[in-house]
Amino acid sequence: MEFSFSSSTSKIVHSTAFTTLDSGDALMIGIACLLVYLAIWKKFEPLLLLPMGFGCLLANIPMSMMASTDTGGLLNFFYQGIKHEVLPPIIFMGVGALTDFGPLLANPTVLLLGAAAQIGVYMTLIGAVFLGFNMQEASAIGIIGGADGPTSIFLASKLAPHLLAPIAVAAYSYMSLVPLIQPPIMRLLTTKEERKIKMEQLKPISQTVKIIFPVAVTIVCCLMLPGVTPLLGMFMLGNMFRESGVTARLHETAETHLINIVTIFLALAVGSSMTAESFLRLETLKIIALGLLAFAFATAGGVIFGRIMCKVSGGKVNPLIGSAGVSAVPMAARVSQKVGSEEDPSNFLLMHAMGPNVAGVIGSAVAAGVFLSLFGDVGSSIDTHAALAPVIGNPEPGMQALATVVEVIKQ
Amino acid sequence: MEASVSAALNVSMLAMSVIFTVLIILIFTIKALVKLIPYEAPPAPPARKVSASSPPEQDDQVAAITASLAAHIGKRPEEFRIVNIQSR
Repeated sequence: MEFSFSSSTSKIVHSTAFTTLDSGDALMIGIACLLVYLAIWKKFEPLLLLPMGFGCLLANIPMSMMASTDTGGLLNFFYQGIKHEVLPPIIFMGVGALTDFGPLLANPTVLLLGAAAQIGVYMTLIGAVFLGFNMQEASAIGIIGGADGPTSIFLASKLAPHLLAPIAVAAYSYMSLVPLIQPPIMRLLTTKEERKIKMEQLKPISQTVKIIFPVAVTIVCCLMLPGVTPLLGMFMLGNMFRESGVTARLHETAETHLINIVTIFLALAVGSSMTAESFLRLETLKIIALGLLAFAFATAGGVIFGRIMCKVSGGKVNPLIGSAGVSAVPMAARVSQKVGSEEDPSNFLLMHAMGPNVAGVIGSAVAAGVFLSLFGDVGSSIDTHAALAPVIGNPEPGMQALATVVEVIKQ
Repeated sequence: MEASVSAALNVSMLAMSVIFTVLIILIFTIKALVKLIPYEAPPAPPARKVSASSPPEQDDQVAAITASLAAHIGKRPEEFRIVNIQSR
């Protein structure tokens, strides 16, 4: 091949991504840098926003083949984990391994606070329909109010995959803003006297009850709402690892290395779906606004129900723990503790708030299950082989090769 | 399904009812479990008395605990005495 300096230089210049970089890509690169900035310097959910922002950066470099839609690309492979509901349930298993249900078991009535906080989900659903989204889209947007990233991603990937990126960004951004969003609402809806209420010491719970509880939740919730089994079932499996006392290695793996590895894949995959075509739309702004509404109403719902429980119990329940019903474990419980201790530094609400906090996780998973029952395709059979074929190729030649090796060994 | 605000309201009411029903079932399940399997405290380990012949490391522990306790309750260390330390 004859070498020509000028033609080679021209070829290299034309093969750079600068030639195809348009304004949309440039804006998305700016948004990616903003997410990275928020993660590192503002500490907004850095474990999620940093890889998500970087995934967005990679996806918006033209010709990089890193967008979730680039078949055969690296991040397209990770994205299959979201598309086929693999990654969010594994994250939930890790969350289950990290969760202590003791405070909830010691005071089970706080489960009602986890239910009441789901009002945010449904107020947002109504708001989303009002703004022109269809029911499936509105459900996926509404679940942002559940303040649970994996649940939001899980539901969005099933009901409105085209809105996955803005929903995930809104969910994680607002979760990191819980300490800013919740306190004003909590102070507005409670009196000084209510905020000072000291709650009774929680009674200890038998280890056997802690072991039986995940099984009971799985049976009750998954039989009623089978669509949520991948999430709730894995959540409870993780908790079984923790409480059974016989799977220390699995427990340790689920709560540390596995959840960390899967978090990287999940966040990169979500970031890779943030392309200019999917993100730079009016719907994104609407979703960001609705996400804030979701968190505000969820907090208000929990606190108002906390006040009702306070009245009914004769002043034994501090309404501030109601705000922890939004999920966002454990940040929302810490906010309850912080706002309570501002009124009375000797008031320790943290353990009491952990009850509604983990109840919120169950509540938001149940809310997702209800949406799946209403608008999803629960129970439809999935051809796993066909579903995975675009990702892993046809596994048949591999099986044939394996059979050949077996034959050779036999001979 | 038609996406109207009234349909969304109906869905919301139905869904909230389902959520409360499921969680109320869970509340009764937990209450039944806690009642059937009550907590039994593990047997307490025998208390170890601090004596004059205690090892020097334990003296350090007693000194640290005394100082922390004095700071916490606002008394001078001479005004109280630690008689034993129970390991949990």
